Amino acid sequence: MIRATRLLVVLALSSALLAGCSKSGVESVQNGYRGTGMATLYDKDRVAAQYAASQLPAVSPAAPGEGPTAGQIYQNVKVLDDLSAAEFARVMLSITEWVVPKDAPSEQAACNYCHSANLADDSKYQKVVARKMLQMTRDINSKWQTHVASTGVTCYTCHRGNAVPAYAWFKDPGPGHQSGIIATRAGQNTPSLAGGLTSLPYDPFTPFLLNDEPIRVEGKTIGGDGNRSSIKQAEWTYSLMIHMSESLGVNCAYCHNTRAWSDWSQSTPQRVTAWHGIRMARELNNQYMVPLTETFPANRLGVTGDVAKVNCSTCHQGVYKPMFGASLAKDYPELRGRKAAPEATPPVAAAR
Amino acid sequence: MSLLSFERKYRIRGGTLLGGDLFDFWVGPFYVGFFGVTTALFSMVGIAMILFGAAIGPTWNVWQINIAPPDLSYGLQLAPLRQGGLWQVITFCAVGAFSSWALREVEICRKLGMGFHVPIAFGSAILAYVTLQVIRPVLMGAWGHAFPYGIFSHLDWVSNVGYQYLHFHYNPAHIIAVCFFFTTVLSLALHGSLVLSALNPKKGQVVKGAEHENTFFRDFIGYSVGTLGIHRLGFLLAVNAGVWSAICIVISGPLWTRSWADWYGWWLNMPVWN
Amino acid sequence: MAEYQNLFTRVQVSAPHYHGVPHTGGGIWGRHGSGGVSHLLGRLGDAQIGPVYLGTLGLASLLSGLLAFEIIGLNMWASVGWSPLQFIRQLAWLALEPPAPGYGLTIPPLKDGGWWLMAGFFLTLSVMLWWARTYRLARKLEMGTHVAWAFAAAIWLFLVLGFIRPVLMGSWSEAVPFGIFPHLDWTSAFSLRYGNLLYNPFHALSIVFLYGSVLLFAMHAGTILAVSRFGGEREVEQSLDRGTASERAALFWRWTMGFNATMESIHRWAWWCAVLCMITGGIGILLTGTVVDNWYLWAVKHGVAPTYPQSFPTVVDPALAPGVTP
Repeated sequence: MIRATRLLVVLALSSALLAGCSKSGVESVQNGYRGTGMATLYDKDRVAAQYAASQLPAVSPAAPGEGPTAGQIYQNVKVLDDLSAAEFARVMLSITEWVVPKDAPSEQAACNYCHSANLADDSKYQKVVARKMLQMTRDINSKWQTHVASTGVTCYTCHRGNAVPAYAWFKDPGPGHQSGIIATRAGQNTPSLAGGLTSLPYDPFTPFLLNDEPIRVEGKTIGGDGNRSSIKQAEWTYSLMIHMSESLGVNCAYCHNTRAWSDWSQSTPQRVTAWHGIRMARELNNQYMVPLTETFPANRLGVTGDVAKVNCSTCHQGVYKPMFGASLAKDYPELRGRKAAPEATPPVAAAR
Repeated sequence: MSLLSFERKYRIRGGTLLGGDLFDFWVGPFYVGFFGVTTALFSMVGIAMILFGAAIGPTWNVWQINIAPPDLSYGLQLAPLRQGGLWQVITFCAVGAFSSWALREVEICRKLGMGFHVPIAFGSAILAYVTLQVIRPVLMGAWGHAFPYGIFSHLDWVSNVGYQYLHFHYNPAHIIAVCFFFTTVLSLALHGSLVLSALNPKKGQVVKGAEHENTFFRDFIGYSVGTLGIHRLGFLLAVNAGVWSAICIVISGPLWTRSWADWYGWWLNMPVWN
Repeated sequence: MAEYQNLFTRVQVSAPHYHGVPHTGGGIWGRHGSGGVSHLLGRLGDAQIGPVYLGTLGLASLLSGLLAFEIIGLNMWASVGWSPLQFIRQLAWLALEPPAPGYGLTIPPLKDGGWWLMAGFFLTLSVMLWWARTYRLARKLEMGTHVAWAFAAAIWLFLVLGFIRPVLMGSWSEAVPFGIFPHLDWTSAFSLRYGNLLYNPFHALSIVFLYGSVLLFAMHAGTILAVSRFGGEREVEQSLDRGTASERAALFWRWTMGFNATMESIHRWAWWCAVLCMITGGIGILLTGTVVDNWYLWAVKHGVAPTYPQSFPTVVDPALAPGVTP
């Protein structure tokens, strides 16, 4: 039959096309019981490209910790005052390597990016920001091991050789055109980069990663017990979850069994890590980034005058663990927390 | 002997594809044929395997019975019976049974001097099944990607596989398939209604004919596709619903691994308006 | 095999334009349009285009519908600053959104959902008038009103989604936005909010009837096309006076699956399958949020949710730790 032959030809061609289209192929990792469809798909070409771009910079030789502290030797040292001079210098050199642009003009090259001629003064805003950043880095590594474990973070995790991290976020007022009697778009209904090009809300970060609006929407009982969450709230949560998935290069089933989103007994351990990550992002934004709003010049602020803030992609940049879980922080004890004073007991990392 | 009043004259020899006269008979109202035998064999083995799978499972509750494919780690190999091998046997039997059923329909068409439209339409449904359970898993390198056999467990698979692409509604082939599904149900409702409305006017009124059917739709929307046309339309709509469903799932995974909403980047970023 | 499958007409006969069976009863309207022919359409179905009967109900319905369409479209266009290029580019993403939850069932300001309410009202009015049109037309032609009642089932689902359920939930915000992708986002969010709609038994039934309708139309249309060489598409005539087309069609199915319909009764199977898809779907939506807040938990309680062996270490909700807010 002509119909059958034509069908066969179409099928053969399609298979050929399909086999050719995903060049190196797709690798899948199972996340749950077989047959539930909980799996993560990795496009091998994409992962290879990400891996190539995630190589850690060279680790500088460890510095001796003995001798007078930076706080004793230098002026106006507020965060790294516990380090030895050698350790202090090591951190300074590392920041330069990890953050300062290589092609900066001479008045901004190397140390000059943050320091003026008087190394102690705070006349350049970059120095004030850097101080806050160092505080933040130590805070993450010591207090947020529920999220970063012992892998930890360094300046490189977010900055990756850039003065401004490629994946920070600003409040998004939307495309405008909302005056008079024109119907509101209610924070959505336009292609949303944050929401993965859906028409879901385009700024899920302000309510959930800056403020602490409730993310959960499902009821805990059949009848709901007065659960008043709306469908619109579910859309906001959905937008945040799409951001989280895309930031990590994974999908919803990486953390959830989607038949029962809210049931923790059916979720993967990664969901707990992610829960802590949300709280960590909130704390970093409120305790470190927002206080820097007045410090930054106008050209570093968003269109609504707000400071750059942290979300999942700031560190993860499309990978399930930043830099595929390779730890730079393990070689930089200076950034993992304050050194204990010789006679004092070491601080206990608080679980959150 | 369960023959319709006019049936005897149609029960003739011939039309078989395989086997000649050997299986060319009826059991009650059912035509057997060579492919009737293979259907029965595949079905019996498959159903026995399903019952065995239920027996070694935790429950006989018909809604909860689940026979799952192997772990992804088995790749395309045969898995041990209790670790997904059973699922593989059942799938093999299912493909055999469905294909046999279609070929049996072909034999019946030949015997009745009919066109092969029905088995071809059924072929599109078989294509969808084979795409889901064979073609896509093979392209992705593991039987474990197929759906499990269980009433609610297969829905869990649907949910999780859909969310592997974050927002499956944005899959363009899925959109096309859904449009075909909804248009098919609309057209079926209209066609069923139209014929019944002609055959069943108010009490005391005369039964109407094709002129009335055409007039109704021309009055209604300015166009009537006609008695032959509606069946061509319905056939094409229904078959396309199945075909585009198969397409939408076979491209998810082997061709596209990211969020389906991300696919629209090419449209949004066209230089003319970006 | 080079046999003609009767899927597309090879030779189209040019026939006089058929003006239609006369209506019973009076009426100020006549039929409009004559002589229109489409060769392209003629390859699949009838080539004649028109005449159409506009009618009072038809005109009112079209006007009301046009109003709704314009309210939706102009608001969408305004939201991209009246740029034609951006309108085309973003069309699939644009929406006319229902009001925020805080407004309850009150009439909100135009920009905060008032336009949506207006568009919804005119669309509903248009649909109801169109329904009345299907009823009146059948009566005028002295035919059964089956089309109207099938349409009523679909209107049931439409009203549940846009009116009945939002009223029962006490908030217009629960209703569906107008917009291509936005209404799909709503669908997803609805399932996310209410514990996975796949576990809603009426949703499952509705899908059974949806797939069943596709199955039935494939079966019925395939059968008729397969016996079209015997005049099978003349279904009314074959129902009244069974010919070899109906006989072979019935026997095909009797020999395949052991039972069969008749030329008339297959249309009843079809009608009910399609109509039940809409009726059960409407019930499923109506029960969601009003009676059942989490369908997965409902399924667990009624013993239909399967259990799976644990494949990873036990996970506990971190929000349950003392002093933590979720």
